[in-house]
Amino acid sequence: MSEQPLKIMVIDDENIVGKRLKPALEKTGDMVEAFEDGEKALARFNEEPFDIVVTDIRMDKIDGIEILEKVLAISGRTKVIIITGYATIEIAREALSKGAFEFIAKPFKPSDLRMIIERASKELRS
Amino acid sequence: MSILNKLKLDKLKKITHREPEIRDFCIQTIRFKKFLENARAMLDLIEDGREKALGEYIFDRHYVVSLIDSVIERLGMMVYDACVLAPQSGVELYAGYDRHKLAAANLISGKSPAGKTGASETVTLTEPEYQLLSDALFWLNGKDRADAETVMAFMKQVFFHVIQGIEPTDAAKNRLLFDTSNVKATDMNFYIIDLWKDALAPPEKKRTARGFNCVPLKHLLMDADCGESKTGTGNSSSDPDWVAAVTEYQLSLNSLKPDLEFRLETLASGDAQSDFIFIFAGKSTNLDSLLPAGFHIEKAHYGQLAWDLDLSAKTIEDSLMNIGRGLFG
Repeated sequence: MSEQPLKIMVIDDENIVGKRLKPALEKTGDMVEAFEDGEKALARFNEEPFDIVVTDIRMDKIDGIEILEKVLAISGRTKVIIITGYATIEIAREALSKGAFEFIAKPFKPSDLRMIIERASKELRS
Repeated sequence: MSILNKLKLDKLKKITHREPEIRDFCIQTIRFKKFLENARAMLDLIEDGREKALGEYIFDRHYVVSLIDSVIERLGMMVYDACVLAPQSGVELYAGYDRHKLAAANLISGKSPAGKTGASETVTLTEPEYQLLSDALFWLNGKDRADAETVMAFMKQVFFHVIQGIEPTDAAKNRLLFDTSNVKATDMNFYIIDLWKDALAPPEKKRTARGFNCVPLKHLLMDADCGESKTGTGNSSSDPDWVAAVTEYQLSLNSLKPDLEFRLETLASGDAQSDFIFIFAGKSTNLDSLLPAGFHIEKAHYGQLAWDLDLSAKTIEDSLMNIGRGLFG
């Protein structure tokens, strides 16, 4: 029996990240929505929770930590994966202590992120 | 350079003793190693950019800007080291460095993309981050770019100034210095210098080369004839044609022969990420036959640069044994 596709939200104010990640993650049949604006992403999450949220940590309007906290307040089962640049790895570790599932440093390969998503998926389905 | 080595270098600079020239030779050798470390870091940066440009990676503008900034920072360190080693070239090298700083600033601001001048090999990419990386790589080492404009070409120029600055003038002076010190090895036709200890106090008696606890020297001499080298001058009673400056894991081997330009620098610490072999040789040396497979060889108008990086302990051992056989038989 085939597994239900995952609902994945990607949030990064750098357009290139969502643009590249969306098709890469959709290859395995999951449903992906990409957002450059964190507030719009949270509004969408309020309408309908996602299984996995992949968010950049450093963004202009709203940062990744705030997104993490709000997402987990709405849906405790959602797995939040933090994307970070080299300079923000310490902050990413702090995010882990606040409930983030994992973090990944830019630049990264979509396959690296896919491995993290697979781990998250196993936890969601266990 | 590690903090410990930097402290040692600072200490050496401050100490005065009866053979300051040995200390100067050691400081120059250590400075050249620092110069190579920065050159290696530059190559790593260029390779990192190339890898990311292959299309598999997700990156943003911040990555590319950081890459360009890191290149300029390292290039500045290389130029600084070069000016210490070859002060007469300072004005020219800093002028070249300033041109690259400007090119980098233009790349980042998008005013006048440094990578686009005559960039027949670049393709226009729809995503600005990938275009910026492509332009940056063209500035770093674009094949179709006018050679003098690339960072890699500038690095070769910097090497040229360093090699010219330290080699010809110092060989004769050094030989005189070594002959009056106790640094001639008793078992090989070598001068041998302990980079840290001899700089602080020259040896009280002569030593054997094989007695030194220097990992790369042991590999190099594994199959070597103890008496003479193929490229040397003959028996061990003649003047040595080589000087080896050593630490436990480092070796700096230099030819003192007027007709043989050859310099080997290596680190064999067992840490593959940092171990390397670097060679500078004159144009007449056949590096293709001397070096085992895996070396990158760059030929320039003034000579040849060759290096092999990220070497496992076994590879570095085999390579040094090979080179030792080629040099000393």
